[in-house]
Amino acid sequence: MNIYIDTSYKSLNKYTEELCGDRVEIIRTDEFVILVLADGLGSGVKANILSTLTSKIIATMLSNGAKIEDCVDTIASTLPICNVRHLAYSTFSILQLFYTGEAYLVEFDNPTCVFLRGGKIMEIPFENRTVSSKNIREARFQTAIGDTFVLFSDGVIHAGVGAVLNFGFQWENAAAHLQSAVDKENTAARLALSLSQVCESLYAGKPGDDTTVAVAKVLPERVVNLFTGPPSDKEKDTFLLHDFMAERGKRVVCGGSSAQIISRLLNRPVKTSIDYTDPELPPIGYIDGMDLVTEGVLTLSKTNEILSEFSKYGVDYEHIKALDRDNGASKLAKLLMEECTRLNLFVGKAINAAHQNPNLPVDLNIRQRIVNQLTDNLRALGKTVNVKYY
Amino acid sequence: MTVTICIGSSCHLKGSRDIIKILERLVSLHHLEDRVTLQGSFCMGECTKNGVCVKVDDEFCTVIPANVEEFFENQILKKVNS
Repeated sequence: MNIYIDTSYKSLNKYTEELCGDRVEIIRTDEFVILVLADGLGSGVKANILSTLTSKIIATMLSNGAKIEDCVDTIASTLPICNVRHLAYSTFSILQLFYTGEAYLVEFDNPTCVFLRGGKIMEIPFENRTVSSKNIREARFQTAIGDTFVLFSDGVIHAGVGAVLNFGFQWENAAAHLQSAVDKENTAARLALSLSQVCESLYAGKPGDDTTVAVAKVLPERVVNLFTGPPSDKEKDTFLLHDFMAERGKRVVCGGSSAQIISRLLNRPVKTSIDYTDPELPPIGYIDGMDLVTEGVLTLSKTNEILSEFSKYGVDYEHIKALDRDNGASKLAKLLMEECTRLNLFVGKAINAAHQNPNLPVDLNIRQRIVNQLTDNLRALGKTVNVKYY
Repeated sequence: MTVTICIGSSCHLKGSRDIIKILERLVSLHHLEDRVTLQGSFCMGECTKNGVCVKVDDEFCTVIPANVEEFFENQILKKVNS
C-alpha cells in the first residue's frame, strides 16, 4: 500500500506558563510512523520535564529497535509516583501506524483517541492490560486511506470548565467537533489547529490547563515534480525534460528560463499574467499540462520562508494563513505542504548571466542554496525529497 | 499593438511592477485600452541591460520607472497614432 501518514500537533500552554506540560514526539522510520503524546502531571517546568522524559524514552527506545511493549514496560516502571498525590507523573498515548496498514494504539490515562473514518466516529477494539501495576488499554487494528486519528490531552475535554461550561468541553463534544470539521480542515495541521482554537475560545484565551491536540491522517502517496533552473549544458535539456515528464504526479516549474525550456521542447506557449496579486513577488504563469508555473529564485526563497516557519515553530494560525494567500510562493508552499508527500526536484546548475549583475539589490545567484534549505525543511516536515542535478 | 513587460526575477527587482502600474494608467488616460494590449512575460534574455525589458510588438526597449512617461509618448503613443 502506497500510503503516507500526515502528522501535526498544536499545544496551548496553561495561562501564564512559559512551558507546556504536554509533549508530542513524532518519529518516522521506513516501516512506521509513531506519535507519542505525553501529559506531565501539573504544569510548568515539572510537567514539561516529565512529559519530555516520557515521550523521549519512548522515542529513543523505538528508534533503536525496541518493541513497543518494552517501551510501555519501561515507562510504566520508570515513571515515579508522586509522594503527595500518589499518582503517576505522566500520562501518555502512543499511536503506531505501519505503512502496511496496521495500527497499534496504547493509552495510559489520557482521553481516548478519536478515530474517524468516512465521517463517522469509530469504536476502537481496546483490551485492558496491566503492565508493571499500571492499567493501560491497547488495541491493534487495520487502517485504511482516509482514516484520521486525533489524540488529545485532558486540557481539551476540560476546556471551559466552571466558566463557560459547567463540566467543560467533554470528550463527546470534542469528538463531534472533529467529526464536523474533518472534511473542511483537510490536513492534520488544519484539524489540530481547528480543535485547539475551539478550546482556546472556551478558555476565553486563558487556558486553565495545558491543552494539546495531535493528529495523524492516513493519506495516499502524492508526488510533486519540481523543475527549477536550466541545466548547465543546453544538451542536457532533453534529458531533464524526459526525466521530469516521466514521473507520475503533479508538475511545477519555477523559473522563467525553465518555463521557456518546457515551452520550447513541448511546443506549448507560456502565458504570463501581469496581475500582481502580491507586490513583493512576480506574477505566476501558465503552461498547458503544468500544475503551477512561477518565477524562480524570488518565489522559491519566499516559499522556503513560509516552510521554515512550519518546521521551526509548528502549526499556527498565521502560518496556515500564509499558505492561503494568492501569490506564487504561497501557492507553491501550499502544494508542498498539503498536496505533496514525495517531492522530486530537478535542478539545473546553469549560472544565469543576468543574475551576475552587481547593480541588483539582492543576490539572485543562490538557487542551489535555496534548494538545499527547501529540502531540509521539507524533510523536517516528514516529506520524502529526491534531488537530481543537471 | 502588444506591449510585453518582462516580469522575470531580475526585471522584477528593477521595478516591473511600477512600470506596469504606470503604463496601465497611461493607457487608460489616453483611452487606448482597445488598441494597446499590456502583457507580461518571464525573462526575455535582455536582463544584463540597465532597466526593465519591454517589448513593443517586436522591438526591445529598456525602461526604468523614472522614464516610463517618455517611453510611452515616444514608443507607444506615436506608433499608435501614426
